[in-house]
Amino acid sequence: MGNIFKKLGVGLVVGGVLVGVARSQELPFDFQLLFLIIALIGAVLFMLLDAPSIGVMSGRKSLAAVAVFWVLLITVCFVGASSLPQFDPEDERAKITKLLEREREKSEQGKTEKLLALAKSLDEQVKKLEDRLKGVGGEAIPAVAPIPPAGGRRAAVAGGEDDVMKVGEEQWQLQECYNCHKLRGEGGKKRGPELDNIGSLLTVEEIQQKIADPKSFMAEGYDKEYAKGIMPNKFKDLMDPKEMLALATWLGSFKNASVNTPKPIKKS
Amino acid sequence: MRHRGIVEKLSRDRLTLFAVLAIGLFAAPALYAQELGTSPVQFPYTGNRTAVWIVAQLHLLFAAFILGAPIFVVISEWLGYRRQDSRYDRLAREVTKITVILFSLTAVTGGLFIFVLLAAYPQFTTWFINQFYLVFAVIYPALFITETILLYAYLYTWDVWKGEQKGRHIALGVLLNLVCVLILFVINGPTSFMNTPTKAEGVSPQDFLAAASLWDKIANQSWFPLSLHRIDGNVAFGGFICGMIAAYMYMGSKNQEERAYYDWMGYVSIWIAVGGTLLQPFTGLLLAYEMCDYDFSFCPYMMADQLSMFFELQGVMIGLLFLAINYYSWLSVKRIEGANNVRMTILAPIVLVVLLPATMWVMNTYWIPDPKSLAILLPLALSPFVLGRFIPITVSARTVIKVGFIVMLVSDAVWLTPAGFVATGTDMPDELKLPEGWDYLSTMPAKLSAILTLVFVTVVNYVLYNRTIKQGTILWGKIDFAAQFVLIFLAFISTWTMGLMGAVRSLLRKYFHTYSLVSDFSEESFTPTLSYSAWWITAITVLFIACVTVAVVIALRPSVAKTQAPEERPVPVGAK
Repeated sequence: MGNIFKKLGVGLVVGGVLVGVARSQELPFDFQLLFLIIALIGAVLFMLLDAPSIGVMSGRKSLAAVAVFWVLLITVCFVGASSLPQFDPEDERAKITKLLEREREKSEQGKTEKLLALAKSLDEQVKKLEDRLKGVGGEAIPAVAPIPPAGGRRAAVAGGEDDVMKVGEEQWQLQECYNCHKLRGEGGKKRGPELDNIGSLLTVEEIQQKIADPKSFMAEGYDKEYAKGIMPNKFKDLMDPKEMLALATWLGSFKNASVNTPKPIKKS
Repeated sequence: MRHRGIVEKLSRDRLTLFAVLAIGLFAAPALYAQELGTSPVQFPYTGNRTAVWIVAQLHLLFAAFILGAPIFVVISEWLGYRRQDSRYDRLAREVTKITVILFSLTAVTGGLFIFVLLAAYPQFTTWFINQFYLVFAVIYPALFITETILLYAYLYTWDVWKGEQKGRHIALGVLLNLVCVLILFVINGPTSFMNTPTKAEGVSPQDFLAAASLWDKIANQSWFPLSLHRIDGNVAFGGFICGMIAAYMYMGSKNQEERAYYDWMGYVSIWIAVGGTLLQPFTGLLLAYEMCDYDFSFCPYMMADQLSMFFELQGVMIGLLFLAINYYSWLSVKRIEGANNVRMTILAPIVLVVLLPATMWVMNTYWIPDPKSLAILLPLALSPFVLGRFIPITVSARTVIKVGFIVMLVSDAVWLTPAGFVATGTDMPDELKLPEGWDYLSTMPAKLSAILTLVFVTVVNYVLYNRTIKQGTILWGKIDFAAQFVLIFLAFISTWTMGLMGAVRSLLRKYFHTYSLVSDFSEESFTPTLSYSAWWITAITVLFIACVTVAVVIALRPSVAKTQAPEERPVPVGAK
């Protein structure tokens, strides 16, 4: 028992010091907790290193010990994984539905779904008519609801300037441009340039050209990233020209000269 | 007039009704035909994607074992032949018996995988099989049948090709391994194609695919790194599973002789597994590098966005794996008589302490592939072994190992420090971010330094262990009983980590069945939560290990061992 208390004491002291240092450096609480947990794991490890040997267990006793050990492992794995921050799939589902909307409409599955929706709506019409026939005798025949037109988003692309801006911003989110580019102080991990002043440096057509062909321009100071081809050359396949134009138009509206957006250099 | 109006209205209604019915009548068969192409089956409770996931992952685990174990087995048989140690031969034979049973389960789960895939995603499966028709219809079945014949021939010629013919039996084992590796490379073609299908600049993926040959499709960007990662992964996995088998058998042993043998089996298994494990981080990084090079959006998706906490958990698992390996090594040293007298140069603990910060500095200054990083780190890492003999100050083996554990804990802390504890880094609030000045801990150079340090500590412990063996006497069968739990723990952790990384590789396809080529329109096309994934990974791990346990009971139960003819010592050709 002396071994356990001694190691636990050392673990708590080390953990306390680490937490103290982390707090003084204004590290968030989760990091303080991480350092404390590691210090305590260290304490348990050193308890095990200096623990007396366990004698050989008999068949049944060892079987029970293995069963308990398994239950412990399963519990720790599940609880450990569940206690980490969880990504909400609903955020992504809405995005994916929008991204695949056009392709889905064109696909066999989309056509099938469209036909099924049509059949369902016709079926409803049949039912309403049957009800109407049963109740012949005077009431007005209810108007059959028209089938809503598909492709609402594309209608927006063809709409006014506000709609274009909305689609442009939506494309920024859908294509996850924020993973590499900082804009309005959000997103970006220095993988790509900050874009708050891009509208002062490139025309809408040039921005569109850069999105469609990432090799067409290089941001000043991003030679390595340009050489590696970090910006994916796939957006012309993922967006239609109108969506790309909307994104370029939206980005072109950012003309905040106080942000140091690197100068784009024409390459090809 | 009113009556006439109603009749007219009804006539119109009837006409509409007939028209609607006619459309319905003609459209129904067409709709039904289209429905066959989509997903007529919905798996209860799990849903289609998870059903495919469970069967595919189970199949992969069995396949990993039956491809990894033969490498392990032939090395063991060859060592037995060379060293005239019958224990190696027995080990090889026992593992082969288990491999044969698990081989059947690989085939069963493989067949089940195809059926479930066809039921859940018929259109995609048909398209996919058409892309690799020659592989799925000819090459893969032919290789699988060849492997079956060779594996059974290998097992059943054990007693026939012995003594002077032992070399022939080993050659058969080598041939078996060649076929196994070939299978792995062949099937990794379609697997890696789903993540990184062949593409060319300026051509749409669809157009390029239409003109691509079978070889173009197989030799895609992640094919070779994935195959390399799986080869060393399979060796490590085979070793860890054999370690667990040894632990079970040790626990069930009735006498000291059996315990001595299974103690030895656990030791051999773990060191073979460690050999594979030490290569894993590097081949894994190569795979990740190639994937990010293929499409850079994979990188933030893995490390900063939806999968960032999956990688946090991977760090926990790998950290625990290395701690457990070294703890097993510690317990092994404890049962060596004379271990207390073993000493090592003081340079060893000094380099252990210095290595992590030094590597972090080097990696930040000369990032890979700059050769200057190697020019600084290699002499530093080799200094205890090269310069140690010239320095008279030494410390005990126990001290070196304990310093090593502290360094491992610090390395784990570095590895587990993310930019912020959030599910996705895209909208991370400032109050959850690592403050400036500390953010280098969350960068790739820091992570690579941590894993390099973990590998280095394990290598130092291995060297120390070997030195202890040479200077002392191993008391086989006298190992601390806790070591058997460590062996089980290692098997569990390695299986679980394989499941986790398998999920990550699969999820990297995002909302595509085949990245950028075939979209997944199903309801389940999204990144599941880590908690949900962990639940299924745990279930798959338990199911797999339960199957292995049953195979061990069938193949190695005491009654089987008793009826077996006593082994003859393998005799090398020309031996007297």
